[in-house]
Amino acid sequence: MSQDQSTDPRTNGSSPAEADGSVTETGPVSKTGGGLAGEELVLSYPSSDGPVIDEESITAKAGAVTALVGPNGSGKSTLLKGLADQLKPDAGSVLVDGRAIQSFNKKELARTMGLLSQESTSPNSITVEDLVYHGRYPHRGFFESVTDEDERAVDRAIKLAGCGHLRDREVGSLSGGQKQLAWIAMVLAQDTDVLLLDEPTTFLDLHHQLEVMEIIETLREESDITVVVVLHDIQQAARLADEMIALKEGAIQARGTPEEVVTEELLGEVFEIDAEVNLTPRGPRIEPLRPRHDDDDRERPTERVAHANGGDG
Amino acid sequence: MATETASDPETTGWREQWFGWFDGSLFTLIVGSLAVIVGGGLVQVSFGAFSMSIIEAWQAVFNPKVIFNAQAWEAFLLGAEVPEMNKRSLIVWNIRLPRVFVAALVGMNLAVSGAIFQAVTRNELASPFILGVSSGAGLMILLTLVVFSGLSAFLPLIASVGGAIAFLIVYAIAWKNGTSPVRLVLAGVIVGTVFGSVQTALFFFADDIGVVQSAIAWTTGSLTGTDWEQVRMALPWTTVAMLLALVSSRQLNVLLLGEQTASSLGMSVEKVRFALSGVAVLAAAASIAVAGIVGFVGLIVPHMVRNIVGSDYKKLVIGCVFAGPALMVAADVGARLALNPVQIPVGIVTGLVGGPYFLYLMRKQDKMGEI
Repeated sequence: MSQDQSTDPRTNGSSPAEADGSVTETGPVSKTGGGLAGEELVLSYPSSDGPVIDEESITAKAGAVTALVGPNGSGKSTLLKGLADQLKPDAGSVLVDGRAIQSFNKKELARTMGLLSQESTSPNSITVEDLVYHGRYPHRGFFESVTDEDERAVDRAIKLAGCGHLRDREVGSLSGGQKQLAWIAMVLAQDTDVLLLDEPTTFLDLHHQLEVMEIIETLREESDITVVVVLHDIQQAARLADEMIALKEGAIQARGTPEEVVTEELLGEVFEIDAEVNLTPRGPRIEPLRPRHDDDDRERPTERVAHANGGDG
Repeated sequence: MATETASDPETTGWREQWFGWFDGSLFTLIVGSLAVIVGGGLVQVSFGAFSMSIIEAWQAVFNPKVIFNAQAWEAFLLGAEVPEMNKRSLIVWNIRLPRVFVAALVGMNLAVSGAIFQAVTRNELASPFILGVSSGAGLMILLTLVVFSGLSAFLPLIASVGGAIAFLIVYAIAWKNGTSPVRLVLAGVIVGTVFGSVQTALFFFADDIGVVQSAIAWTTGSLTGTDWEQVRMALPWTTVAMLLALVSSRQLNVLLLGEQTASSLGMSVEKVRFALSGVAVLAAAASIAVAGIVGFVGLIVPHMVRNIVGSDYKKLVIGCVFAGPALMVAADVGARLALNPVQIPVGIVTGLVGGPYFLYLMRKQDKMGEI
């Protein structure tokens, strides 16, 4: 019941030019699971003047991995929050499994769609296992105890996230990368059709970045989960994603397969860098050369500018 | 889901859920707390204007004629006529023991209330009075004593209602498309400052020293003169609040993961936060009604318990239910007997104990504040 909404750009005409039917059919075909679509979303924060995202539509194909990339402040995390119903859109709608997101009650939605936020905090003395069990929250009634189903889901999630060896450790004693694996296990335990990840690899060491990417790859290949991931690192995005969406200043600049999106022009336009792009069997390979200093002097050095492939602007 | 599972694994799951977490540290805490409560209670019933030996006190406490006398319990818990009993039993059971029970109930309420507020605000330094409850209650106490002295009979009720109203005002101030822990705490400070000033101003209008002393006893918290009537007043609300706190422990745990995570796990954060605050205010109000505003207990007990059993609220709430009474009963021993025959408000003792304990924690822990 999912497929159709991913192909239909609804009858509008007012949507911006880049929504020009570049929604390509490259992703693996899903059997079950649900897609996720945001239609003409206008998103803003109470404190911001003007919308951060202005009438953008986005479709995440069921069972595929969709990566949102863009420079800092481009609105990719905001867009994700809008899709996750953490931020109420001023206009537009979000469809999960073809159903309006408002028609879900909170727990029902949490059983359908999981979100891993950029920064997550937990008490230090909680064990990894207990943390992962919290992922079962939406599946349990107020007085319900742990069921076999809960236990199976937790075991599965811990195995998939590769943190079995951390199971009885306290979260406070873990490294940043290990913590992230524990948090990923928690959202996996939610057992949802759709998974939204907000910069899951940022601030992790290389080993754990690869661990996280491996988990997402496994999800892509072995499950029907629809994944939407915000990635800071465009190289990682190119390697992971079935479909990429590049944002700049709250507007979608390009969408399509990594090969279509990751081009030298786009890197110049969206990320304001000069870079060389080579196509390799593992997706496009990006060699960032230098930042562009054009008249539009918007870019500032940031704390993460040393991050090799990053699109900091 | 999982309806077809056999009953056997279900019961083990149930048992695991309720007893699997019942570990050594919690057990030690409970046993230790009970020892302090019983010890403090025995000291309380033995000493006083009518002195008796520990043995005599024991005998009076465990007098089977009282313990197994339905009529006596009816008198204690429902306010019926007290039946005949010997003098010692009468003094112990009618005068001294109820004070211990009130202390235990107050300690329980304050500790659990503090624990809940610490989760709601996600701040280890939160107390039952952080959201304006104490200032609202204090203001109403002063108003009642100074301005509407005809209503003094309803003082306990008025104080609790004042606390609850102040809490609602704090919530209303903090509300702006929802609340946040920081805004709640700031709103609590604002309301506390204003109400505190008015309260202090009212002292100037007190006619005589008796009113001032009474006001001070209420605003620092005192158990002087409490008897079964106070037990009757606090017990039902305490029972309700404790049960609600226990069944909400999972909500509290999820709330500790942060609003965003809690919300993405399907929790209606605002509703849950308001409901939990309501439970905490109920507990705090029950304690205010019988003992006035006893400081520090609600702040340090959850802290001590957390140091021992960790931050899992299932354990923490149960720990607080036992450790709160322990601290309160012990502190009341000091309040009643340290300067015999003068009794000081128990709130002074808890402050004297709590301050240094906090200093100790501050020096010992590098990081304080976050749970």
